[in-house]
Amino acid sequence: MKRRALLGGSLGAVGALGAGALGAGALGAVGLAGCGSDRGPALWFSYGGKNREALLALVERHNRERPEAAIHAVFQGDYFELLAKLRTAIHAGAPPALTHVVGEVLPYLAAADVLEPLEPLVDEASRGGFIPALSQSGAFDAPASTPTYGIPFNRSTPIAYLNRQILEELGASSPKTWDELRALAAKASRGAAGDKRYGFACPIDWWMWVAMVGQAGGELLEGDTFTLGGDAGLRALQLWKDMAAAGHMMLPAGRDYNAWTVTNTEFLAGRVAMIWSSTAFVRYLEENAKFPVVAAPLPKDARFAVPTGGTFFVAPKGAPPEHRVATASFLEFMSRADTSNEFATKTGYIPATKAGIAELEHAGFYASHPNDRVAVEQLDAVQRWPWHRNLFRIQREIVQSRLESAVLGGADARASLDDARRAAREEL
Amino acid sequence: MRPKHAIHPYLLLAPTIAILALFFIYPLFVAMDDSLYRWDLLTEPRYAGLSNYRELAASGALSGVIGRTLGFAVVVVSGSCSLGLGLALLLNRPGRIYGAVRGAVFSAYVVSWVAVALLWMWILDADSGVVTRVFRALHIPTARWLADPDTALWAIAFVTIWKITGYAMVVFLAGLQSIPRSLHEAAALDGAGRLARFRFITWPTLRPTTAFVATTSLIMSFQAFDVVRVMTQGGPVKSTTLFVYAIYEEVFVTFRVGRASALVVVFFGILIVLTLLNLWALSISRRQRKVAA
Repeated sequence: MKRRALLGGSLGAVGALGAGALGAGALGAVGLAGCGSDRGPALWFSYGGKNREALLALVERHNRERPEAAIHAVFQGDYFELLAKLRTAIHAGAPPALTHVVGEVLPYLAAADVLEPLEPLVDEASRGGFIPALSQSGAFDAPASTPTYGIPFNRSTPIAYLNRQILEELGASSPKTWDELRALAAKASRGAAGDKRYGFACPIDWWMWVAMVGQAGGELLEGDTFTLGGDAGLRALQLWKDMAAAGHMMLPAGRDYNAWTVTNTEFLAGRVAMIWSSTAFVRYLEENAKFPVVAAPLPKDARFAVPTGGTFFVAPKGAPPEHRVATASFLEFMSRADTSNEFATKTGYIPATKAGIAELEHAGFYASHPNDRVAVEQLDAVQRWPWHRNLFRIQREIVQSRLESAVLGGADARASLDDARRAAREEL
Repeated sequence: MRPKHAIHPYLLLAPTIAILALFFIYPLFVAMDDSLYRWDLLTEPRYAGLSNYRELAASGALSGVIGRTLGFAVVVVSGSCSLGLGLALLLNRPGRIYGAVRGAVFSAYVVSWVAVALLWMWILDADSGVVTRVFRALHIPTARWLADPDTALWAIAFVTIWKITGYAMVVFLAGLQSIPRSLHEAAALDGAGRLARFRFITWPTLRPTTAFVATTSLIMSFQAFDVVRVMTQGGPVKSTTLFVYAIYEEVFVTFRVGRASALVVVFFGILIVLTLLNLWALSISRRQRKVAA
């Protein structure tokens, strides 16, 4: 009987161990990541669909032009999945030669000393050729002595997309101010649950909220303190809450990129008159909508303001030294006006170089693609990110969940932001 | 069959135990050690004592995830057990049609979680999903099943029950078929109706089977990850952040290996307690049956 009980207990414990070790297994998997260096220098990327096709075409072209510096592209999921894998690969001592990361994480990785300064790999002429608002020095409020860790590639800003048919039906134009945004959202909303059309939708996402904080005249970081915009942060959050409560704003399901996909899908289905999304989706929306799509700058409250988004190429430390030739070659290749333009015109991301934009203007691209011009012109309103190692944690861990809690969960906006500031202080 | 020596069963178990020790027990000890540090995988770990545990408790994150996971487990275990038993009772008879229905119900269990999650995302779509359309046609108020913090966890629990009920049904069928027919026949001769036979013969005989199904369903519900990752990513507002997903978020999203490890340790502790409770309940029931006999 005792032995049976012991065996039975062992089996029960095995079940518990199996489940308990699931989490430990996730941690253990950390050591399994690798860069696949058998195939030579790797470029880890996180694009899907059209973006992926455009990038792979460029990689192929690079490898054809410079076979001695060939690089192979490896898909690694969405931005955040790639980041998780990158971190584990760096820890395991097997990082890729090159990858790209979201802007907000750049200060964190730089402070952790896991990125190569890129000055030795990309010449000064190329570095100076980027559009300032999209380059590291222009997108971040960093000390002048900060080395260049990121080379701009698929760079974007938030932008508004409107259904022209609905605009014409309402006799309205794109909103220039928050008041006009509220009015248009109310006017365009109609119908009841089940067959409702919303005037406005946007992902409940930190990036959009940061844009609104800037528009309301606020800053995320003041001195050494993450004030999260102070009253401006509250005004931004309250605007969402009010519009949602009035039934004029759709709250897309899902988190992260699921919410973005839902926003685009609802817009394409004609169930939303106006969305805020990324400039990166301009081509996708134009090509898939059954109605004319109009892009417009985000409206202002106290001022016009947008943060930059998208990613920078980075070279993680720890990659084999013999891979540096390919890394330098590919960075130089992608810093050219023609390659930057090829990617931008195929996808909707903003061309990263000054020469590239001049070329497109000269060739009449912006005359025939007015929506792309909106994205470029909106760069005048770019608000810099603070260069702070905690920026990424503030985003992912502290602010994003509280935005969701306030808008989707019904928590008080002021209390949510006060709590976020407290958590940010503790984090520091 | 009796072993020739008392040590033989343990020798047979030794390879399994070795594998478990290497891939399950050792990582758990590593997690216990990591839980005492602040570490983001990129910079040097800093010793933090029990502060990871304290922070998890003080922030309410731990109680939230425990409450959510236990609630989810209760719904999933009770739902899958009762539905599995009901289906087993209904389908425990010969015939091709019954066989086909049994196969159909069980088929959900062998489909991958990701496929099931994608299927149900489509079915539960708030605007064009099948469920929404049916509700609308019947003039029943519908909801944004996966986008509303009040319904998202229920939706995930429902999908989990749908997926694992086939497994519960098959185990219950095996249990039902091991009950000697003579017991039912004798009870019927004594005038016992269907309900009485279920209450006094089927249910007591199925108790060990029920305990097994409940334990395995409990473990499956505690392991829920894929369905959350695909359908809701833990949202909205963390309403579907179950234990394993919380561990994943801590380590892969917020870069907190120490805190993730602390969650692993707590998770393991909870499962051990639940398993011991289960074994204790089983031993009590066994003792009661002995006394009754």
